[in-house]
Amino acid sequence: MKLSSPFFHHAMPTQRVMLLVCAALIPGALIQIYFFGFGVLINLLLCAGFAVSAEYFVLRLRNRPAKETLKDNSALLTGLLLGIALPPTLPFWMTFVGVWFAIIFAKQLYGGLGFNPFNPAMVGYVLLLISFPVEMTAWLPSRALAENLPSFSESIQLIFFAQTNEGHTVESFRQLADGFTMATPLDFVKTEATLGLMTSEIFSQARFDANLSGWMWVNAGFFVGGLYLLVVKIIRWHIPVAFLSGLFLTSSVLNLYDPQLFSPAWFHLLSGATMLGAFFIATDPVSASTTPKGRLIYGALIGFLIVIIRSFGGYPEAVAFSVLLLNLAVPTIDHYTKPVIYGHKEDKEAHHE
Amino acid sequence: MSDQLTHNIQFNEIVKPAPGQFHGGIHPAEFKSVSNTQTISTIDSPRELVIPLKQSAGLTATPIVSVGDKVVAGQLIAKKQGAISANLHTPLAGEITLISPKYAGHPSGMMSPTVTIQVDDDQDLSNQKSQGENLPKLADWTLCEPEELISQIALAGIVGLGGATFPTNVKLKAQSIETLIVNAMECEPYITCDDRLLREQPERVLQGALIAARATAANNIIFAIEDNKAEAIASLSTCIKKFSPAIPVSIVVAPTKYPSGGEKQTIELITGQQVPAGQLPSALGLVIQNVATLHAIYEAIVNRKPLTRRLVTITGNLVTKPGNYWVPFGTPIEYIMQIFSISQSDCKRVIIGGPLMGNSITNFSAPVTKATNCLIFNRPDPKEKLWLTSATKHDPCIRCGECETACPVELLPQQLLWFSQSDQWENLENQGLFDCIECGACAYVCPSEIPLVQYYRYGKSAINKIKQNQINAERAKQRFDFREMRIARTKAERALKHQKAAEARQKAAENKPADPTGKQTAINDALARVKAKKAALNEPAEHSSNPTNNKVD
Repeated sequence: MKLSSPFFHHAMPTQRVMLLVCAALIPGALIQIYFFGFGVLINLLLCAGFAVSAEYFVLRLRNRPAKETLKDNSALLTGLLLGIALPPTLPFWMTFVGVWFAIIFAKQLYGGLGFNPFNPAMVGYVLLLISFPVEMTAWLPSRALAENLPSFSESIQLIFFAQTNEGHTVESFRQLADGFTMATPLDFVKTEATLGLMTSEIFSQARFDANLSGWMWVNAGFFVGGLYLLVVKIIRWHIPVAFLSGLFLTSSVLNLYDPQLFSPAWFHLLSGATMLGAFFIATDPVSASTTPKGRLIYGALIGFLIVIIRSFGGYPEAVAFSVLLLNLAVPTIDHYTKPVIYGHKEDKEAHHE
Repeated sequence: MSDQLTHNIQFNEIVKPAPGQFHGGIHPAEFKSVSNTQTISTIDSPRELVIPLKQSAGLTATPIVSVGDKVVAGQLIAKKQGAISANLHTPLAGEITLISPKYAGHPSGMMSPTVTIQVDDDQDLSNQKSQGENLPKLADWTLCEPEELISQIALAGIVGLGGATFPTNVKLKAQSIETLIVNAMECEPYITCDDRLLREQPERVLQGALIAARATAANNIIFAIEDNKAEAIASLSTCIKKFSPAIPVSIVVAPTKYPSGGEKQTIELITGQQVPAGQLPSALGLVIQNVATLHAIYEAIVNRKPLTRRLVTITGNLVTKPGNYWVPFGTPIEYIMQIFSISQSDCKRVIIGGPLMGNSITNFSAPVTKATNCLIFNRPDPKEKLWLTSATKHDPCIRCGECETACPVELLPQQLLWFSQSDQWENLENQGLFDCIECGACAYVCPSEIPLVQYYRYGKSAINKIKQNQINAERAKQRFDFREMRIARTKAERALKHQKAAEARQKAAENKPADPTGKQTAINDALARVKAKKAALNEPAEHSSNPTNNKVD
């Protein structure tokens, strides 16, 4: 078909955008592999494979050009984002369920790339978290603390057979020398707080501190990847800045209100999936708000909700829930934040009077 | 993020930086140097001219010549019709050979009425005298009344040569104008005709601007120009200093950014104000004229020349000597290809206008018209991803928002696409579809290569069609209602008439004397006599033979 103007076009193709986002995950992913073992890498590979195969399967069912569509790399990205969020020893079949559900129900049933109202990776994550809460919170202690992290082959054995040849299970890897099972810092804070400990008491524990340092490094890795995305202009500053500001402000206010009950802002910023969420999850353009003002509101409310759920909710981590809740609010946000079109300033003023 | 001037411009009391800025915009590769180093020249006279009768906004001009007529250069061949229309003059002497619909460059391939002229031999286009000086002689323009200037401009058939082709005389009639803005932005890639004109003939453009300012009673003139035209700025500012005009004239330099030459964007750059929706620049006391239009005004007022040719940028990698050339209107594009030795096997299409808002034409018989500011003969480099001339299957929109950051009118192109794809016309209109200027910046930056502007054109035409249908339906309803009303009225009238007639008859019957001629009395008397006779005859039988009579009664 012949086109009418414009005849010039100059932009990074969508498939390259997706690929660069995948590439930007590398620093964070490498650090996560270092601190939590090869299970992270195996999860990433499994998720990528499951995501691409799920996408291929549904596209064939839908009679869409499967191979061509797969080239947009969006399924790959969804897989990797979910993979990075999973505990490193999650049984492979759970991973499979999460990824296939994400691709089929959260993405393809809505019409595929561009039509999904919810972030597919987060839908998959939440499905798994609600269905398998024990396995989904069974994170290993970080290298800074762990006696021994599972080797590559041990990781494969744990993921596929739930125990190693020597009979070690995930639980035995999670236990420290003194028999104490280490949870993630967020989980630990939540559990200890329910036991009546004050934040100062929790934060002064050496093993908590050691474990937290691994998580802080991981967050730093995703922060670096996020900065790269900002520099190459694949994402814009609105969502990450609003997200982190919302998170910082909310946690600071709570912490100022009662420092012994609520964790300080730096802890919220550098633990859990904060940086991954701010730069890679909330910035998914398909499910995020699409107006400039809307993006600020969207990001800030996610940050706010994360702290609220982490502090008052039943789950230790809240990025996925917050993102999905705000996905739900996107049409409303977009409706009320339309920019003023050229020449319509006066209409708007008249409208407000 | 504010835009910076990227070129080194010396500012002084005449040359100033633009105070305003507009939202979005893009920085496409410029390709200006392909054609802007060559001095202006003329092309050899074509053998045949095909002059379309519609070369302006509004109505088609009415031809006033017939086949076989001899015409001289500059002769009026078609008269404007109605308020918004423009006169047409022949650029060259010759004979009218055909007046008929022909292909005149419409992108759809539609035919339109044209006048074909067989051009006389030996016409030297570089000779200014042969251009025809057919307009009435005016006194010194500095003493002319605005009406005189405007009517001369109307006679000359001048239209906006920036591409909109709106009749200039109509535009200049705007009331309470304070500032004339000369649009010399020329922001589209490849096009350099205004740039060259300002470099080589700034005094003519300046005088044209002063004439236009007088015609509109504007009390100052601002040349709006992008900073990538340093030579034009220098030459124009020297000219302004030398000329020392009666009203203040300044040059305002804006950063090079497409679409700074869009009328509304130019105004925002120069004044910091936006033209309110649904209003004209005159609402802000502004009138905007393009450089080439002002040159045409100068020619019409000072040299008595009607508009019969224009400066056209002939450029692209297939052109042997790219540059700016005076081309008579009606010159077929295939003739231009011939002089620039462009073979039709190399060149699949020509872009008329710029690559962002122009038209792509594959039928090279189309002529150059008043709207043709640039012809791009390009063989797209397969390695170069810049050109996009045929629709391929595009990726879905991922709502990345690149388009929204590029949109100069602050629309949300991603939302427009969403509503256009799903035929949600009301939402589409509420998102400001009709504020879209179709500059193409959104499509330029779209990572999914979505031809966004075509989706908007589709939406606009669909909505217009629906509105037309609504108007038609409303008219049909009115007609139907009127018919019903008329039928009811006739019926009522008829009923009334019948009633009146009946009443009249009744009245007449009442008023009639019982037996005006005495006939009835005579008949009654006769009947009575017959009855009496009969009674006398039957008297004897009455008691015995007729008992039933009483029963019947």
